[in-house]
Amino acid sequence: MPVSGHLELLADLGQAFASSLDVERTLQEAVARITRYLDAAGGALFLLDETGSTLTCVACSGDTQITGMSIGAESGIVGRCVRNNAGEIVRDVDCDPGFDRSVDKQTGYRTRSILCAPLSVKEQRVGAIELINKRDGDGLFEVSDLSLLQVLCAPAALAILNARMALALVEQERIKRELELAAEIQRGLLPPSQAPPFPIHGRNVPARTVSGDFFDFFALPDGRICFNLGDVSGKGMNAALLMVKAAGLYRCLGKTIYAPGALLGLINAEVCETATRGMFVTMVGGIYDPAADTVVIANAGHEPPLHHDRNGGFTPLPAEAPPLGIGVGLTPDEGYPETELHLAGGTLYLFSDGVTEGYARDGRPLAIEGLMQVLRENAELPLPARLDAVVARLDHGPGALRDDVTILGVDGGQG
Amino acid sequence: MEIQITDQEKAVVVAFAGDVDLESSPEARQALLACVDRKVPVLVDLSGVSYIDSSGVASLVEAFQAARKGGRAFALVAVSEATLRVLQLARLDKVFTIYETVEDGLDQAV
Repeated sequence: MPVSGHLELLADLGQAFASSLDVERTLQEAVARITRYLDAAGGALFLLDETGSTLTCVACSGDTQITGMSIGAESGIVGRCVRNNAGEIVRDVDCDPGFDRSVDKQTGYRTRSILCAPLSVKEQRVGAIELINKRDGDGLFEVSDLSLLQVLCAPAALAILNARMALALVEQERIKRELELAAEIQRGLLPPSQAPPFPIHGRNVPARTVSGDFFDFFALPDGRICFNLGDVSGKGMNAALLMVKAAGLYRCLGKTIYAPGALLGLINAEVCETATRGMFVTMVGGIYDPAADTVVIANAGHEPPLHHDRNGGFTPLPAEAPPLGIGVGLTPDEGYPETELHLAGGTLYLFSDGVTEGYARDGRPLAIEGLMQVLRENAELPLPARLDAVVARLDHGPGALRDDVTILGVDGGQG
Repeated sequence: MEIQITDQEKAVVVAFAGDVDLESSPEARQALLACVDRKVPVLVDLSGVSYIDSSGVASLVEAFQAARKGGRAFALVAVSEATLRVLQLARLDKVFTIYETVEDGLDQAV
């Protein structure tokens, strides 16, 4: 065979792989051309599966039709070729103990000689192309045949890897779009901002696309306002899904049960029934009565809310019972302990640990002291601007947030 | 995060060291559940834990729930200050059985 013929075939195959949108069909055509060009009676292309345990024929040509057939990755000469990442000429399979006769038994075909070259890119093994039974001359493959097959395998291996990467990219893009849709739905679950003098405002900035934190508030018919803030263990989609459940339960039940402790007790029982993987929700639920300027809160294992009083002092309100979903610490009918607090013109802040554990610009955690300092420095600003100041201290650049940041304030003294 | 599993006569001690966070907690979870599966009392040594986030706590909760379901002892021992603060803040110190030292845990939980 003239070298010009080799080059022409190599150029053709390279071109076909580069321009192909259907890699399977191109591989099929390539195997047929290679089989013909090297004058073999049959040819087959085997690919390793993801686990590296099975070789499956995805394209074949000539005397044997074995497309779809799978063999163990260690089986036969093709397995050995992939394992060693080295091409082989086996002139007489009867003299090679590594030859696997099971394929011949299944097809009824008689294999005499084999030429096999691995499909790989650097050390990444993809599979192999195997040719059987040279037709002309003495019926034996030459060393030059192996060299040529190895050269032809290179663009095929690259094309297969490229096609896999393209598929992975498409899948990644699809997941990204779904996450963005989920985030949009999730943002829609947060309450719309109310114009002043409405006393309750909140902020939620997810560290990733979706959030495991939430807050909510809604007016009750008697003039009081129900509010909550919660944080689901972990981050990402699983946390976001449990967040939606807990927030939905609170909003629904909160419209008929005006006692935060009893409400958290009910949600706890519900979350316990379906919680998986040890996931739990820390949550503060409360009701603000503008007429009396008092709040009643119940705290299920959440960061202690802070009462910033008119004189500038801060009082934390620690949890007295564990988070929702743990299943221990409360009987099913038991409510969470409630605390009543007179705001006396001060402000009650509820926040997730993304606020206190988040990094400030100096690279150190903001911590509770840092949060109190921001609130003190901005005490004269309206509540929404105070909350924005806290968020700005943490969300100071791309990738700055290590956890979802959520904060809600209840401004007293409106009634 | 580092994990060390030591078989004692009547219990298995799983010791974690370093940060148990979103990145390392799946490995912590797997180790804990595998130990609970062995149907012996499990003591979790948290003396070397410098930071634990909620996903790490969830791994402890899941293993605790699995042990409880199977009626087997599960306790935290030698809990580092950083970890104890997180557990106390969430009132999870009321949920988990906690012993000051591994020896106390072996004496009392087993």
